[in-house]
Amino acid sequence: MTGWEVPIGAAIAFAAGAIATGIAQSRIGAAGAGTIAEKPETSGIMIVLEAIPETLVILGFVVAAMIIIMVK
Amino acid sequence: MLQKMKRILVVGPKSDYMGIIDELYEAGTLHLEDVVKEYSIDVPVLPMEVYNTDDISSLLIKLRGFISVLSQGNHTKNISLKGSVDYSDLTWDEVTDEGLEISEEIELELKTLEARKLELEVSKNTLSRYKKIIQKISPLEAHLPRLEGFEVTILIILKEFESVLQVIKPFLSEITHNQFEFISADLDEKNIAVICVFNKRYATKVHDFLYSKNVNEVRIPQEYTNMPLNEALFLIDEDMKKILNEIEEINQKITDISSKYLKRLQDLEYLLAQRFEEISSYKKFGQTDYTFIVSGWIPRKFINKTIRRLSDKFGDKVVVKVQPDDNKKLEEAPVFFDNPFWVKPFEFFMLIVKPPMYREFDPTPILAIFFPLFFGLIVGDIGYGIVILVFSLLIHYYFRKIRWLSQITSILIISSIPTIIFGYIFGEFFGDFGEHMGWLEPLTLFGITWNRMESIIPLLILTIGIGVFHVYLGLSLGIYNAVRHHHPKHILEKLGMMGTVSGIILFILFFAEQVPESYLIFIALLTLVSIGCLIYGGGMMGVIEIMGTLGNIMSYARLMAIGLASVVLAIVANQLADEMGILILGVVVAILLHTLNIMLAMFSPSIHSVRLHVVEFFSKFYKGGGVPYNPFGRERT
Repeated sequence: MTGWEVPIGAAIAFAAGAIATGIAQSRIGAAGAGTIAEKPETSGIMIVLEAIPETLVILGFVVAAMIIIMVK
Repeated sequence: MLQKMKRILVVGPKSDYMGIIDELYEAGTLHLEDVVKEYSIDVPVLPMEVYNTDDISSLLIKLRGFISVLSQGNHTKNISLKGSVDYSDLTWDEVTDEGLEISEEIELELKTLEARKLELEVSKNTLSRYKKIIQKISPLEAHLPRLEGFEVTILIILKEFESVLQVIKPFLSEITHNQFEFISADLDEKNIAVICVFNKRYATKVHDFLYSKNVNEVRIPQEYTNMPLNEALFLIDEDMKKILNEIEEINQKITDISSKYLKRLQDLEYLLAQRFEEISSYKKFGQTDYTFIVSGWIPRKFINKTIRRLSDKFGDKVVVKVQPDDNKKLEEAPVFFDNPFWVKPFEFFMLIVKPPMYREFDPTPILAIFFPLFFGLIVGDIGYGIVILVFSLLIHYYFRKIRWLSQITSILIISSIPTIIFGYIFGEFFGDFGEHMGWLEPLTLFGITWNRMESIIPLLILTIGIGVFHVYLGLSLGIYNAVRHHHPKHILEKLGMMGTVSGIILFILFFAEQVPESYLIFIALLTLVSIGCLIYGGGMMGVIEIMGTLGNIMSYARLMAIGLASVVLAIVANQLADEMGILILGVVVAILLHTLNIMLAMFSPSIHSVRLHVVEFFSKFYKGGGVPYNPFGRERT
């Protein structure tokens, strides 16, 4: 039987990834918007760059899911 | 795949240069290069004089200005297409003259009308401001002292600065020797209006004082003063009516001009824009004393057609020389995709990210295979797949003329098919709705029931496995490129990376007791030899890159994670609908949430599938940075 610490642990894993992704994306987004304003042809690569930090939240989600499933 | 490109040189008599340019422009197959830069080594080649571009550019600006004024508002409502004139028989000079003539005809009238209209709009705004103020202060009229020789002025003050009245009061009292009165009322949410009555003798001093203190003073024009306020209001209404009538008359006149000239102006603008583009390219053409020279790249399949076209028109006078292939020059060749129909839409991604170099391997067909697979694996729902398919087909049909939209919808149409197939494997139809209704169940393959909510770990292993395969494919293509360009160190580096990553994976499997202990020595040997190759091929950076490659492989976990998030949202939609109690409300909630999820499902998986290719896959072999083929000629539709 697991206690309250398992969901809290999973939440921390996910939340930390989400916050970090948010911080990274906000900076990339601001810089990307500036770049696209100057060079509209870079919009494709900017969308991909904006998606790069999402790895953090996705791995956070995977870890959270694994904590919930594997810690019994 | 990329089209084979050939470099050609066209040389003809200088006297025929206009004809040659027109013919090449009509053919629309040649990607121009700068002749002066390329061919000035042996014989001095001079650039062609750029022909009256400034005149055409300023005429274009004028025409666009007219079109913008004449297309505004209701001016285009009743335009008949009779204004359209056939310009196909005119020469370029005649088209330019026609543009100048129309411009002269309408410029003065249109400018006068627009200026008058602007003036009237300003008066209208000012009058409505006066009206608002007078309406507010009219109830205070009864309190005003009826004295001859007194002047009334109105002050507008922000509510938060109301206290300023107490500050200026002693000063006004001193200036007017106490012969003044303040009456205030709320004007709107932010402002209050203050009527200030004082003896005319001190008018200049009072106005100067108020001006020096930056107080917003509204002086009602002379024609509305010296009369009761309701009369002033009546007069303002009358003037407003006159202004509106005059604006209406001006609009009518503009509409008349629009119906007569707009279509012609649009046609001329289109033609002159093409002409401008054509003559702007003149600086890329070259000339010697007697010859005219054009050089550029042309797809191999268009060479004969273009040569025939020139020889039909000019016979032997114009010579076209197809240059022999030169590896160094081919690096600069523009890229023109030549892909089968199912790969074509994916060229869109290559062009917005970065097109390949001419001599590089074109990964578009691989993108066309893996993108729909990744998309399908993430979304994996029969219902969502069908909705995306129908939606994309409709958009594709109705907006087929918009190229980029047609390409995106083609990608979604292709991607919806694996979505339906994976939906069948995962047993999902609008989340767990299909399973709930007993229509379908998750399939059991390789001893695993592929229910995404329960088989998280097998799905994670599957996606990481896909990552390993995809990254290895990228590394293999890197080896292929290195072999083509004779870079043995790069070959060793890529091989070393594959061996090292394989060794690490085998170690993990060994610790998970999936690999027998007897293999350990081979695994250790493989890893050591591979690291050696890696250091020889890529130096210490190659070793550091191991972590990057492992990170790349882990990144494929997103195929599972984003899909799982989508399933959870779908299940939440169904459960919420179930708990609503009222059938119709439940259905509405379910439809709304599923719509939101489908919209997310069309966007997010696309971005992440592209990202997996661009960041994780392309980084193993792809350089990019090629120049897209942009032929000199009429825009092809």
